[in-house]
Amino acid sequence: MRVKSFLVAALFAVVANATTNITWWHAMGGRLGEVVNQLADNFNKSQSEYKVIPVYKGGYEDTMTAGIAAYRAHKAPDIIQIFDAGAATIINAKGVVYPVADLFDKYGTKFNANDYISGVRNFYADSKGRMIGCPFNSSTPVMYYNKDIFKKAGIKNPPKTWEEFEKDAAKIKKAGYIALSQSHSPWIFAENFHSRHNLQLANKNNGFDGLATKIYYANPAMEYHWSKLRDWINKGYYKYYGRGWADNQQAFYDQKVAMWLGSSGSFGGLKKGAKFNFGTTYLPYWKKFIDKGAQTFIGGAALFVFSGKSDEKYRGINAFLRFLTNPKNQYFWHKETGYVPITKAAYELAKKDGYYKRTPDAEIGIKQLSLPSQKWTKGYRLGNYVQIREIMVEEFEKILNGQESAKDGLETIDRKADKLLVRFARTHR
Amino acid sequence: MKKISFSSLFSHFILIIFALLFLVPIWVVLASSTHTPVTILRDGLQFWFGDNFINTYKSILFEHSGYTKNVTAFRMLINSLILGFGFAIGKVVISSMAAYAIVYFRFRMANFLFWLIFLTLLLPVEVRIVPSFEVLSKLNLLNSYTGLIVPLIASATGTFFFRQFYKSVPDEMLEAAKIDGANSWQFFIDILVPLSKTMMIALFIVMFIVGWNQYLWPIMMTTKPEYSTLLLGIKEIYQSNFEGTYLPEFNKAFAMTILALIVPVAIVIIFQRWFIKGLVDSEK
Amino acid sequence: MKKVQFKGGIIPYLFVSPQIIIILVFFIWPSVMAVYYSFELQDAFGTSSQFVGFLNYQDVLGDKDYYNSLSFTLIFSTLVTLFSLGTGLYLAHKANEVIKGKGLYRTLFIWPYAIAPAVVGLIATFLFNESHGDLYHFLNQIGWKFDPKSDPFDAQVMLIFISSWKQVSVNFIFFLSGLQGIPRSIIEASKLDCKSDTRRFWSIIFPLLTPTTFFLLVTNITYAFFDTFGIIDTTTRGTPMGQTKTLAYKIYQDGFLGADVGGSSAQSVILMLFVLIITIFQFKYIEKRVHY
Repeated sequence: MRVKSFLVAALFAVVANATTNITWWHAMGGRLGEVVNQLADNFNKSQSEYKVIPVYKGGYEDTMTAGIAAYRAHKAPDIIQIFDAGAATIINAKGVVYPVADLFDKYGTKFNANDYISGVRNFYADSKGRMIGCPFNSSTPVMYYNKDIFKKAGIKNPPKTWEEFEKDAAKIKKAGYIALSQSHSPWIFAENFHSRHNLQLANKNNGFDGLATKIYYANPAMEYHWSKLRDWINKGYYKYYGRGWADNQQAFYDQKVAMWLGSSGSFGGLKKGAKFNFGTTYLPYWKKFIDKGAQTFIGGAALFVFSGKSDEKYRGINAFLRFLTNPKNQYFWHKETGYVPITKAAYELAKKDGYYKRTPDAEIGIKQLSLPSQKWTKGYRLGNYVQIREIMVEEFEKILNGQESAKDGLETIDRKADKLLVRFARTHR
Repeated sequence: MKKISFSSLFSHFILIIFALLFLVPIWVVLASSTHTPVTILRDGLQFWFGDNFINTYKSILFEHSGYTKNVTAFRMLINSLILGFGFAIGKVVISSMAAYAIVYFRFRMANFLFWLIFLTLLLPVEVRIVPSFEVLSKLNLLNSYTGLIVPLIASATGTFFFRQFYKSVPDEMLEAAKIDGANSWQFFIDILVPLSKTMMIALFIVMFIVGWNQYLWPIMMTTKPEYSTLLLGIKEIYQSNFEGTYLPEFNKAFAMTILALIVPVAIVIIFQRWFIKGLVDSEK
Repeated sequence: MKKVQFKGGIIPYLFVSPQIIIILVFFIWPSVMAVYYSFELQDAFGTSSQFVGFLNYQDVLGDKDYYNSLSFTLIFSTLVTLFSLGTGLYLAHKANEVIKGKGLYRTLFIWPYAIAPAVVGLIATFLFNESHGDLYHFLNQIGWKFDPKSDPFDAQVMLIFISSWKQVSVNFIFFLSGLQGIPRSIIEASKLDCKSDTRRFWSIIFPLLTPTTFFLLVTNITYAFFDTFGIIDTTTRGTPMGQTKTLAYKIYQDGFLGADVGGSSAQSVILMLFVLIITIFQFKYIEKRVHY
């Protein structure tokens, strides 16, 4: 009985398996994961040759780790979502990925790098501007603030600069709240801090011109900022809820803190879950160090295609990527998640649809990304950066804890990071 | 008279306090698993049962959860059972055979092989985890029960256990068997194995617990959720719940925790005597 | 060795071969690979590798974090061993003394052994959680500003507590067995010689438990070094400030999460040597003692 039904099922499987499966490993959990599944569903329903199967592998680090392990075991998926910190590692690994620019060329998708907004374009491209990874979810750090608490504290507008923040924080403290929490020290208070203040991050043009060997986090602006953070902890203006993204966001949900620095991509979840009025605004900057805050760059991730797959699969991947970069789908992704529309066309579509008139908050991220670019607002391309971020978080924790001065902590980061960068450079000679 | 009863009262008191220290956390998790997540979020951990028991346990056992939504806790339970049984059986069979060879035979490589086996006590899996992954992938054993079970049998504990036992078996048994004309295979099967039945059961129980409770090894050696064990499942539910912006489903996480521990705990309690034998006698 | 044995031939090889094959393939081979990799610098994806001699060892031994991890591992292991051994011994002694209920107490203290370290860690996470963990609130209420997410000391204490909690059971089982194995006659005689309870325990009974104690010492240290991986991975994961990483956890983090094959292999080799020394010590010392 069992054998029979097994044979019948096998027969069906063989016949029905005319579709090519495309596995897509991603790091989008919770609500984001639902939208991912919806996108895949929509694509699968729109045609019958290919079936995209999204697989959630955990956070960005876990997804990358799983991808590396799978590749080494010759069991890599077809598409993988790799985040900003991992970009250098995967781009510099010889022969591991099939650059999307080449893929599009071969399978006939018209593709122009200039269709992408400037903050997005260069991050996943090679030195000649050819895209290796396909930007998918891009976000930038923005500030969310609790309008109700602001009202109680008697503050009309959210602070534009950190100087203004300090004044507001005192009022918020009086009203019985903590002024600030943030969810990602390296991304928000180091990488984008540099961008916002137009400060160089690493040598070799932030790593875009070659394998960088020196990082520049120990500088007067960072020292000032991190000393201030420690100061604010003592004053009760800022609280560090640990290194978990969700823990620091939870404080904002729980209405313990008035302002939260998160990602423009957090918008979707906040919209659904927050039980209070909140607003979105730009990431503050120090007027002391720059007159007008500069452009930030993208965080988030891109989709990379592994090499060594069949022609049939590449056709399918090509079709799927084209589907994803279609303005309509981009707009859908943007609306549902808060990630920025990465093509100009998608941005125009959203504007035309009146989306930003209805929800002006949703435009903050892309507006911040569209500020005029300056010398050091391009982002970075650094190897071993996942470990470097680990070091950064550890030293930052020591600074916030008062165990180290900001100067010492930042110098330690530079010293340790340089070692890792040199190691990476040596590996890829 | 008074002195004795005070000190014995005191002993009981101490023992009860500590017993509670161990019981209470489990109790709290069990009780909390029967409530809705809202209750837990609002009121904290619970000390008594709620009315969400059937709902919670049914949903985790039979609803698909985890990352890809195609794996149920039931499946993971099966995997844990397979890992526990497979490992325990494999260990008992292979170690008893290896110990037999070393104790009952005079052959040239005996000493060298003994030391080789002893060497494995040196290195727990954690230390060679990265290269082990490479080896398994080269042998195409990732995401397979074989890959999950067999490599773990490499450690020497079972062999030493049987070696100790065999050494305590009187020589007369072997002499008598030889006189009867039994060959080494017959001696093993007809005499030694029945004699070691209790020891085998004891070791089986201890090793079942070890196999069931494997954590790092299944994490590394499986990439497909169909091979997840219960322990991995808890970790995933816990992580994915706490990463999203939804209400974390504590009740499910708690329920899975209870599932993960109830089987080995029950086994240890029910088979106490054998279990203790298996542990204590492997020391000598 | 037994005096009566079978003569050689092929049979013993057949019996011992399954174990040996498994050891060769799944133990020797990976270990050799680890040594080999420790002399190489590889990129994360394994696409390029170059021989770099002792560079990885230099980097590891010159890394302050490595020594942090080393000292944490040593202190952590010592304390966990002390606490769980001490508590296990104490409880076993008390359980052995009571007249009624010995069996019940044995049952009550034996079951925690069956819980996987990872599960213990998860339960602890629930109890020590900031938003709804009762223990977290309790500690803060009695005046200890308990914050394991940002204070490494708090996190370390929490880990030590959790790890000891789990391990008491093993020690209890062995000590109870050991105590129950002491002949009645010795106990009666000692009662005559020594009026004081505590003195009797330490000068007569405890020395009889020395083989057990030594064995447990090694078991506990092994547990603290390696098995606590499950606890760390489900609670602190090495945070805050990387001060709660044992050497074993660091190897996993660097090798698997950090994709640094060379560095983690070097760490593995160093740890292997360390364990080798301890095992030789154990074998020499214990084997000597067991033959009383």
